[in-house]
Amino acid sequence: MKLQRKLQQLLKSLIQPLTAVLIGLLTGAVAISLVGASVLETYKVMWDGAFGNFYFVTATLARATPIILIGLGLAIAFRAGVFNMGAEGQMVLGAVSAALAALYVPGSGIIKILAALLAGFLAGGLWSLLAGWMETRFKVQLLISTLLLNYVAVLFAGYLVSRPFQDKSGSAALAQTHMIDQVAWLPKLFQGMSVHMGFVIAMVLAITLYIILRFTSAGYEVRMLGYNPFFAEYGGINKIKVLLFSMFFSGGIAGLAGTVEVLGSQYRYVEGSLTVPGYAWTGLMAALLANSNPLGTAVAAILLAALQTGAMGMERNTEVPLEIASVIQGVLILFVTAKITMNWWKVKKKAGDIHGAA
Amino acid sequence: MELLDLSFFTSAIRMITPILLAALGGALCARVGIFNVGLEGLILAGAFSAIVGNYFSGNVLVAVLVGALGSVLVSLLFGMAAIRFKANPIVAGIAINFLVLGLTTFGLRAIFNVKGAFYDKNMEGLPKLDIPVIEGIPVVGNLLSGHSPLVYIAFLAAIVLYIFFYRTVTGFRVLAVGKNEAAARSLGLKVTLLQYGAIVVCGILCGLAGAQLSLGQVTMFTEGMTAGRGFIALVAMMLGQSHPIGIVGSSLLFGLMDALSIRLQGFSMPTQFTAMLPYIITIIAMFFLKDRGADSQLSGQQSSR
Amino acid sequence: MTYVLEMKDMSKKYGDFLANDTISIHLKKGEVLAIVGENGAGKTTLMRMLYGLEQPTSGEIVLNGKTVKFSGPHDAIENGIGMVHQHFMLFSDFSVTENIVIGHEPKQNGFFNRKAAAEKVKELSEHYKINVNPLKTAGDCSIGEQQRIEILKVLYQGADIIILDEPTAVLTPLEIEELLKTIQFLAEQGKSIILITHKLPEVMKVADQITVLRNGKVTGNVLTQNTDVEQLATMMVGRELQKLTDRIQLDGDPLLVVENLTIGGKNAKPILDQLSLTIHRGEIVGIAGVSGNGQSELIQAITGLRKIDSGSVHLGDTIFSGKTVAYRRNAGLAHIPEDRYLWGAAKEAAVEETGLMGYYRKRNFNQSSFIKLNSFRKLVRGWIDRFEIKTPSLDEKSGNLSGGNLQKLIVARELGFETDFLIAAEPTRGVDIGAMEYIHEAIIEKRNNGDGILLVSSELSEILTLSDRIAVMYEGKIVDILNRNEATEERLSVLMAGGNENEASTKTTTTA
Repeated sequence: MKLQRKLQQLLKSLIQPLTAVLIGLLTGAVAISLVGASVLETYKVMWDGAFGNFYFVTATLARATPIILIGLGLAIAFRAGVFNMGAEGQMVLGAVSAALAALYVPGSGIIKILAALLAGFLAGGLWSLLAGWMETRFKVQLLISTLLLNYVAVLFAGYLVSRPFQDKSGSAALAQTHMIDQVAWLPKLFQGMSVHMGFVIAMVLAITLYIILRFTSAGYEVRMLGYNPFFAEYGGINKIKVLLFSMFFSGGIAGLAGTVEVLGSQYRYVEGSLTVPGYAWTGLMAALLANSNPLGTAVAAILLAALQTGAMGMERNTEVPLEIASVIQGVLILFVTAKITMNWWKVKKKAGDIHGAA
Repeated sequence: MELLDLSFFTSAIRMITPILLAALGGALCARVGIFNVGLEGLILAGAFSAIVGNYFSGNVLVAVLVGALGSVLVSLLFGMAAIRFKANPIVAGIAINFLVLGLTTFGLRAIFNVKGAFYDKNMEGLPKLDIPVIEGIPVVGNLLSGHSPLVYIAFLAAIVLYIFFYRTVTGFRVLAVGKNEAAARSLGLKVTLLQYGAIVVCGILCGLAGAQLSLGQVTMFTEGMTAGRGFIALVAMMLGQSHPIGIVGSSLLFGLMDALSIRLQGFSMPTQFTAMLPYIITIIAMFFLKDRGADSQLSGQQSSR
Repeated sequence: MTYVLEMKDMSKKYGDFLANDTISIHLKKGEVLAIVGENGAGKTTLMRMLYGLEQPTSGEIVLNGKTVKFSGPHDAIENGIGMVHQHFMLFSDFSVTENIVIGHEPKQNGFFNRKAAAEKVKELSEHYKINVNPLKTAGDCSIGEQQRIEILKVLYQGADIIILDEPTAVLTPLEIEELLKTIQFLAEQGKSIILITHKLPEVMKVADQITVLRNGKVTGNVLTQNTDVEQLATMMVGRELQKLTDRIQLDGDPLLVVENLTIGGKNAKPILDQLSLTIHRGEIVGIAGVSGNGQSELIQAITGLRKIDSGSVHLGDTIFSGKTVAYRRNAGLAHIPEDRYLWGAAKEAAVEETGLMGYYRKRNFNQSSFIKLNSFRKLVRGWIDRFEIKTPSLDEKSGNLSGGNLQKLIVARELGFETDFLIAAEPTRGVDIGAMEYIHEAIIEKRNNGDGILLVSSELSEILTLSDRIAVMYEGKIVDILNRNEATEERLSVLMAGGNENEASTKTTTTA
């Protein structure tokens, strides 16, 4: 009985995202047929590009790693009821700080790695905290301030790697740091495959966050703040403290996303290497798609990464352009919070609302 | 080189045009209770459609109209999601940005078979308009004359919108919907119709903003060429508290800072720091935004609850 | 057929819940019909159907002999039906004129002719003797003035049938007098009025005909001249009310001491003005007052939800001033909030999560930061049994509970803290009679255990039933404190309107 209800609930919570996925795939199908390709074949090629063999699976997971972390960070902020749009800046500052820490902190590999993780987390966290502080102290809208701070952060990181910390050794003077000593690289999970230790960090963090949000008093405070700030305050939750903590961890985890990219796959900070693939926005979509559930966010992030790696495979093997993936993603998110639900549920819910109001 | 000369101001005016147009569109949406984060996507849709219209018709006027139409279609999609399907407008807006980025890049490949950017030297850009009397006046003439028609339309739109809000019956009802939707509904006002109307006009304004981008200075389209202008427009809208004249002010502030940042590059400052200037000034300006308008509550942030 | 309006066998079903069960009413020109019933009896649903806000499941609306169907308020307004909602539908930034003419604005070439509008409003206001200032901003108007705006708006729209939904709930006694006069005047002018209320004395004064609803059914339809308050009450409630547990005389020590509490307002006038109040152990102190005289702010100041400018609050030996909400709660304060949806619960949260607020910090339910959900659920199940809270499960969204059940959950939660001191603000607002008796019983029981209770309620009857002493608040001050045996509804009414004791006695004698 209880299990059945749980299952029903799970199913109900899945209807919404699944409908959105379906609409997204349908739109993709229309676009594919517009360029005159076969829909089923193209989707088959996409699937193979994402999950076709072990190599592609690991490539998908490698791409998913920063997206999962960004999504987790944002999920915390969303749960606390604030729309943190600053993941990009937080990630970039985390990445550049991590790169510098790994380069300049003396010591063994493990010390460098730990220093880099800490630096990345702190840089992202503090940058995010700045927006949180401006919101709680001066009522500067977080949605807008985080957006604006992105530009500042990306430009600042660009300055660091084009001036004081630029690697001038190469033939072309690219805006990038020196390469990190190999001892400070995050190990790959499989020989010759791109997925690295960062993926494990991301998954562990997803599970940890799920447990914290679901079962601890801190998680309870965050969720209640997000549901109804007045109720939270009434019940003795320190609104400002919880909001600032949430923003700090939200940005810190986004900073970690940048950190593991630097330590695990780029081995240096290269300007644009994190912003051009749009990790931050994809992470945002993962969190939205999963309604900020940490485990769901991880799954959604992997799916979105698969869509992207699949699209790359599709571009290699067919005439269909890569951007189909963005179109599918866009439509998917457009409808993910839409109330396209089955009729019986709507009627039932409406009745419930009226009871609530009476 | 002097820091502030005439060309500085003319370049500022050109720069603010797309921002002003889009911010006015956003304000219209905010006034009917819809927080439109999708301005970036709407401008991009306009810019791309304008180039498509230009390429196939060879007529600039048709190009601008097609630009507006493309943006309106996307805007309606946003409206449908937000109004008909009651999606969270912020989420829907973000989705629109992404969708349009994908669609336009996809379109570049599908229609023009290029990647990254499309340019055709046969395409004609927007004409420069010389205003007869003003043109002759020294300084002012140089400042105010010789812009593309869309620059004048932008400022005109602000005035028209002001008159619409505060002098007409329909404008009055639009304001009413934004202030208290439940009350407006209980009065039998056609709330949904007004909301869709605002969405369509917002699409037109953003389409014009896009046309100014792709046909104004250089006649070309590049992937993601809006480069955050839609978000800046959103900030300008909030800073101007969705009041047409306030938005002109906040857009001017941003345009001046943008022009200044380009000008400062001549003064041996790292370009990154000068480029930060508009964003930092805008953040600082937000500190002084004490009496925040109804539109700022729409974003649903903690401080506004 | 002389009726202007007939509603025949109206039924409305929400899911399995029958909100209206074959209700019929009729109304003549120039008549005042009162529809009375407890909260949840179905009055509002019936009126929402008449105003086009809800579609009936079955039944027929006949207007001037013709059957009509309203798809929205627009249709109702077109057909001469106007409604003054309980929660005013005003645009606080707009002027009085703008609020009245909206929807039917005077136009000049498509432009809004505000001057003509103001003149029309002035005319209308003079014709119906309803006094407003057309140029004032609606948000700056008093509650009574706002209600007059609403009535004028309905008249401006050309309504012949005017629905007034609980119009007196928010008014001062003087404003109520004035409203009743307006209603009578409008009826004389040929308007037909439907008055929705649960306050029987007013009904007796102004109505011609009374229809009583209970549990979605009509339990009586009488002419006012043939009935009295007692008969109406029996029809409304359907049974004798339970007698409350006897109170034991207790002479407790001072528990909550508020001294010279001041909170400045936006204007020169402070919201709370040097307010002092002491509540003893084993005592219920009721605060009577027209809402908006500082009651909410007093509660927020005591609980720590609002900063104070000067003064002090103590609970026993604990100093409250400057301390956090959590500190005060831990020191022995519980609080039933005045608005259960704003303060008391999170609609999106599960029932158990709404219940968990405050408990998650307690050692019994918190093991090194992990919430002991299983032991907590046992506690919540206990509340559900004791207060007969109807919920499908502990995972149900709090917002899906009915108002009464959610209120019982909140009351159970706050009583469950077993604190020395309780603030009960509007503890029974919008709950049915059964739940109300239950909550009153629990409050008395707590008092008899020697705990102190501060009761704030807009229902004078509730204050009179429960309180040992009654403090009357007016404009941020306590103007008088009466003992239980010396307080009457009349005396309180006068004090609440800002009159002093002497005036109170003269007024009561002149009206008597």
